[in-house]
Amino acid sequence: MRFRATIHVRPKPEVRDPQGEAVLGALSSLGLGVSAVRTGKEIVVTLEAPDERAAREAAARMGQELLANPVVEDFSIDLSAA
Amino acid sequence: MARVAILRFPGTWSERDFDHAFGLVGAETEIVWHEDVDLRGFDAAIVPGGFSYGDYVRAGAIARLSPAVRELRRFADAGGAVLGSCNGFQILCEAGLLPGALTRNTGLEFRCDWVRMRVESDATPFTRGLRGEILRMPIAHGEGCWTADEATVARVERRGLVVFRYVDERGAATPAANPNGSVANIAGLRNEGGNVVGLMPHPERCSEAILGGTDGLRVLQSLVRAVGTAPAEAAVA
Repeated sequence: MRFRATIHVRPKPEVRDPQGEAVLGALSSLGLGVSAVRTGKEIVVTLEAPDERAAREAAARMGQELLANPVVEDFSIDLSAA
Repeated sequence: MARVAILRFPGTWSERDFDHAFGLVGAETEIVWHEDVDLRGFDAAIVPGGFSYGDYVRAGAIARLSPAVRELRRFADAGGAVLGSCNGFQILCEAGLLPGALTRNTGLEFRCDWVRMRVESDATPFTRGLRGEILRMPIAHGEGCWTADEATVARVERRGLVVFRYVDERGAATPAANPNGSVANIAGLRNEGGNVVGLMPHPERCSEAILGGTDGLRVLQSLVRAVGTAPAEAAVA
């Protein structure tokens, strides 16, 4: 089966996010009531796997081995049939 | 004579500078492509700076999955001396050969400047006899902010793994002397064994007076002397 895994990577809550701080500064100038910004990234992977569970495990391994650095980042996975 | 392998990944840019600088201290060098790295017979391996794989995903993240890193790990486990500078330091942290991670400079700027750092550990082949010295070296990086969880920071300090710390001209580790927001002004670290060292500054770019400084030469000389008194890794294995 073919799946689409969207892996969301974000800095851990205790890790400073200077990019988020810069975006906060810029958004504040729009006067829209923004009080905090955290940035991250999204990686969309299409993969073959026998079932949903295997696809989720494969995506988790991608997060652990390459897409996120466990020292400073967390990740989460959204999975759908592709 | 010291035999030094200098690794080249796609996007590495400091390998020829290291090659030149090691020539000044009488080391025999070889620049090796990351897919063909065989460190048997070498005394030391250098992971130079640059932008391996365009810094995609994170600086050093993709290089971590290269066959060269598997060989580096084997070499380091066998006691081989490994030095990573700038992107090389990022690769060593990503590979888990050194603790923590290097993240975006807190000021968001790419910093290209000269810094001072104090040598705080001489338990490495790269800093023998240099403990307490203040070295002046250039930096050029956007992701040099070393960080780790509290337990790791405490362990690094307690075990004396901090090799280089950013300081001002009077030797004080002030926020102003810290170019990138690194925790505790940490500029470079070693592993528990002392044979693996990483730092953000560039020793290869301050090895001749014409370049504005020669403190980098002291790090390279230390290695040449250290391995001159120890058998090559291949002879041990």
